[in-house]
Parts: sequence; C-alpha cells; structure tokens
Amino acid sequence: MKPNTQKKIFDYLIKNKIQNFIGVPDSTIKYFIDQGFKKNKILITTREDEAIGIAVGMSLSKSHSLVFMQNAGLANSISTITSLVQLYQIPLIFLIGWRGYLQTDAPEHVKIGEIQSSILKLIGLKSKIVKDDNWKSCCKWALKQISNGSSCCLVIRRLF
Amino acid sequence: MNRKEAIELITRKIGNEPIISSNGYISRDLFYVNDKTTNFYMIGSMGLASSIGLGIAIKNPKKRIFVFDGDGSILMNLGSLTTIGTIKPKNLIHLVFDNGSHESTGGQPTCTNSISIAKIAEATNIKVFQVENESQFEKILVKIKKLLGPIMIVVKIKNSKETGGRVTLKPIRIKERFMQSI
Repeated sequence: MKPNTQKKIFDYLIKNKIQNFIGVPDSTIKYFIDQGFKKNKILITTREDEAIGIAVGMSLSKSHSLVFMQNAGLANSISTITSLVQLYQIPLIFLIGWRGYLQTDAPEHVKIGEIQSSILKLIGLKSKIVKDDNWKSCCKWALKQISNGSSCCLVIRRLF
Repeated sequence: MNRKEAIELITRKIGNEPIISSNGYISRDLFYVNDKTTNFYMIGSMGLASSIGLGIAIKNPKKRIFVFDGDGSILMNLGSLTTIGTIKPKNLIHLVFDNGSHESTGGQPTCTNSISIAKIAEATNIKVFQVENESQFEKILVKIKKLLGPIMIVVKIKNSKETGGRVTLKPIRIKERFMQSI
C-alpha cells in the first residue's frame, strides 16, 4: 500500500470520531502509525492484549478506539477478543498487518500468514482487506460496524 | 486479613467510586460484598484489569479509578506497569491482593513468594505501599486521598475458604450499567 493511502486512512478515521489509536507497531502499517505520531495520538503498548484492554477501558468511557498490530499479535490476542471484546460486546476497530501474505516474507510469518483468514472467520471477527483503491469504503464499513456496537477488522497486506 | 475482609474494608472507604475487578475470586468477593453499578467485573481476559483501568482513568481524569487485581493476574501483565508508569495517570489506584497463589485454580504458588511486586512497581515510577493488616490498610487509604497517582497498594492477604459465588450478572448488563453510571 502507498504511504499516502495509510496517511489518508489515519486522517479519515480521526475525522470520523476514532479518538484513540493503541497497539504494537508493525512495519506493514508504518506510515499509518507515523501519521498518528505526528498528531500525537498514538499509544504504544508492551503487548497486543494490553492494547485491547486499554481500548476497552476507553470504549467503556464512550470514546472509540482502533487497536493496531501485526497478525502475530492477533494470535496472541484470541482469548482477549473472545472473553473480553466479544463477551461484553465492545465495539473496536482492529487494524492488522498481514505478515506472511507473500511466501517470501520471513519464515516466522509464513504459517500465521496462511491461517490468518481462517482464524478471523473462526472467531467471528468480520474483516475487510484494505487496498489503495477501496480504503475509503473499508473505513466507512468499519465505522458503521462500531456504530452498530460490533467489532471489526481491517487488514493491510504486506506486499514487500 | 483474608481477601473478603480486605475487600469489605476498602469498599466501605471508597463508596461509589469506580472499581475494575480481576477475574476469579476477586470479582466474586466484590460482587458478594458490595455489588454496585460502578463495579466492572472482568470475568475473562485474565491479567487485563489494570489495562482496562488505565483506559478508563485516562478518559475520566476527574474521577479516581480503582483496580482490584491479584498477584497471579498482575504477573501475567507486568508490561502494564511500565505503560502506567510512563503515562502516569494521577487518578489510578491499583490494589494488588497478594496471597502468593492462584487460589481459584487450586492454590498453586505464584512468584510473589520470592519476588516483590512492590519493588517491581517502584521501578516503574508508581507510588507503592504495602500493607499486612487492617489498621495499616485503613491508614494508607486515608493517606492516598492527598496523593497523586499512579498509586499501587499491595495488600498481603491469607488464603481463605470463604469466597463469594459466581457473578450472576450477564456481561452485557455489567457493561451497560457501568457505562451509564460512570
């Protein structure tokens, strides 16, 4: 994805009342995170489940959050998603970097890259793959999901 | 002092202020001793009570936010202390009820028998107090009214067979009434 698209995604979400951007960095979404730092809106945590916990606290205070991570973090967070986010029906947007999308990615990412879509389906977290030509409709979809009280996931493929 | 006695003591002192309680016996005892709408019983996601509390504290800077944690659960999320110590929320008060064991799963030991949670928290710039009996606990609860957070109180407790039943509220109800009351 073009760096400028990632910046536009950040700007669009913050304009549309996503107030908190919390997570563990991934190089796939570097430009999204950089734009958040420019606006002083990024909170980096030690682990992905910690980020989800903080975001849930903010959501309980009626302030919407996005939680970002790479897909290794999704694997780390499954129990937190099922026993906190879904159990209490907390609306959050997840932004996940799809490591291992290409077979040429580093070996530790290949397996999780293969099973990521199945994991999302299995836990029932609705997702869309965000690209340069559909980013706005994906963002609108995600905003609608959380305004309906549901969590959802935006996925950005690592194409380098 | 056992956990139920410690929870009875602190809930008498803090009235209606919000509490985020960790899973297992801590939420059960709080539900049994002093159920109120400003309690958020975190019945799953072990380890995350302090993180949820941090999110609420950041968004509600004029309210004191209490986290009721256990030694086993904070050991699962020690990174949370470094985040809290970096953000420094003035209104976050983190109670760790420390019995040196995973009591609700059969009393297996935790590392707090040989390593001090208080010392770990001190290293993250949190103001830390440790209490071992009711009178020390009461004094600290008075003292922290005049202090800015983040604050941690490690409450050393004894194991006890006296525990409350499961939280009978549905999770959605726990959330809705907490959001309405905060």
